[in-house]
Amino acid sequence: MNVANLLLGMLILATPLLLAGLGGWASERGGVIHIALEGAMTIATVVCAWVSMASDSPGLGLLAGILASVLLSAIHWLLTQVYRIDHVVSGMSLNAAAIGLAGVFDRVFHLSEGKAAPALPVGVFVGLSWIAMLGFAFLSDRTKFGLYLRASGADPAKARQLGIEPIRIRLAGLMFSGVLCGLAGAFLISNAAGYYTDGMTAGRGYIALAALILGGWKPRGVLLASYAFAFFMALQIQMQGSALFGIQVPREVWYCLPYAATIAALALSKGKTQAPAGLGRS
Amino acid sequence: MKRIAIVIGCALLLAAVFAIAGASPSGAFDAFVKGSLGSPSAIAGTLRETTPLLLCGAAVFLALQAGLFNIGADGQFVVGALAAAVIGLKFAGPAGVALGTVAATLTGALWAAPVGWIKAYRGGHEVITAIMLNNIAAFLTTALVAGPFRDPGQQTPTTALLGPSSQLPSWGPVPSGLLIAILATVAIGWWIRRSVGGFELRAVGRSPRAALFAGVDSKAVQMRAMIVSGGIAGLAGAIQVFAFSNRFYADFSAGYGFNALGVALLAGQSPVALGPAAIFFGLLTKASASLQFAGLPKGAANVVLGCLIAISAVYRYRDARQREGE
Repeated sequence: MNVANLLLGMLILATPLLLAGLGGWASERGGVIHIALEGAMTIATVVCAWVSMASDSPGLGLLAGILASVLLSAIHWLLTQVYRIDHVVSGMSLNAAAIGLAGVFDRVFHLSEGKAAPALPVGVFVGLSWIAMLGFAFLSDRTKFGLYLRASGADPAKARQLGIEPIRIRLAGLMFSGVLCGLAGAFLISNAAGYYTDGMTAGRGYIALAALILGGWKPRGVLLASYAFAFFMALQIQMQGSALFGIQVPREVWYCLPYAATIAALALSKGKTQAPAGLGRS
Repeated sequence: MKRIAIVIGCALLLAAVFAIAGASPSGAFDAFVKGSLGSPSAIAGTLRETTPLLLCGAAVFLALQAGLFNIGADGQFVVGALAAAVIGLKFAGPAGVALGTVAATLTGALWAAPVGWIKAYRGGHEVITAIMLNNIAAFLTTALVAGPFRDPGQQTPTTALLGPSSQLPSWGPVPSGLLIAILATVAIGWWIRRSVGGFELRAVGRSPRAALFAGVDSKAVQMRAMIVSGGIAGLAGAIQVFAFSNRFYADFSAGYGFNALGVALLAGQSPVALGPAAIFFGLLTKASASLQFAGLPKGAANVVLGCLIAISAVYRYRDARQREGE
């Protein structure tokens, strides 16, 4: 096993988890359960690939991807806050629609047919993910907006009595969430050297959500949890094809590693105690 | 009435998706009707798709009554199907079918148990655990069917074919598996509506805290609901193997567990409505192959599913508000 490759792989693999996990933080700290991180990333990847290819400008592609993800977040806000449907139901429906739309886009615009879109360097996103983490930590602890966001998530009814409008604060939180998921989606395109493939988000949005839960709904915690998951993913890549105690292990067993680690993490953490108390309530 | 409005809304939406994809809506509608109802074999195919959708829908419905979102039905279905195929190959005849069905139900229940446990006693959201277990189920069953359970005579990873004595019959276009699924769904609906256990389940679904004060062990009920739901999904896997596929292969589920969410959400609070909802999704699934020939991309059905779930949820919220008497 090559330790340098392992660490480099970890840095790359952690970045989309950290970005999307922080997106989840901005939403869930305000009290909106955000299962649709996966859908937001998916729609961002496909739109980013399409616009990058069509305009030949990776910057424009990134912007369009972010816009698509922000739009999806805005629909999530509309459904959960204005129509007040169950947050998980809204998230699932958006995931299904986003994955379906990505398939339609792929077919209509011939995205996954071996052409590469121009893409930004991966390092940009790695840097942005750290900046976002520090920015959110500052936002959470040192600003009025952070206080309002946490108040809306802790007890929306009491927050309203204090003159805070949770519905507006949550919209702002979801906008942040959309931007970050958009970055996470665009990262996937960059990391694939501009080649779009159907289903390339591959459940990372859900793992990011697990990182958020495991990280105790704190920006620093999300960072640590993302890197922990990324470690297992990098390990999986390094271990493929190698024998364990002299037995040849099928590669599928290694594929399971990050998912099994997520379940183990959920089983070991007591999620509820650290969760925003008003999560899912209006 | 409102349900009908939703279905019509989705049809309009589908037409819009056609327009974007550049396919002709009328041509696609023809393809839809011909593909799902146009011939005896098309009808048989629709009923075949309806069977797992009905049972998995009932599984999701039951969990939903306890306030749990069992998105793991797909994984439970797949592990159940593998268990059924392995037992069915080992023991031929009706005894093997019975044993395989029991094994599939238990395997599905076992696969759902961590989801219920983490939700009830660890506070981790059931959706995340279930999605992780879906992935693990897909990888592990693929590894098993590519390795120890593989039929060496085949090119692709698949088990051997079950003998004729282990296959459930069909009467014309009506498969006997569908009858079993209907009976099981009726039993599940009866249990939810008429039994103490079902009452506790619904009480916990409405408010776990209130149920706790009424002397119901909410956590145990959540755990039980998840296990029973998983068992039903596993049973659906067994029926799929014994009545239809007669073997297990890699990528076994054509998304039945996910479409089952649509079935259960469309059915709302009524177990009886599971029937028409399953038929609707059965038509959609059966016709989707013909629709792809008519130029409609594969993802379109998912777009409809997503909109359907959101719109029906919005309607239900409106219903609830009107009942509160504004």
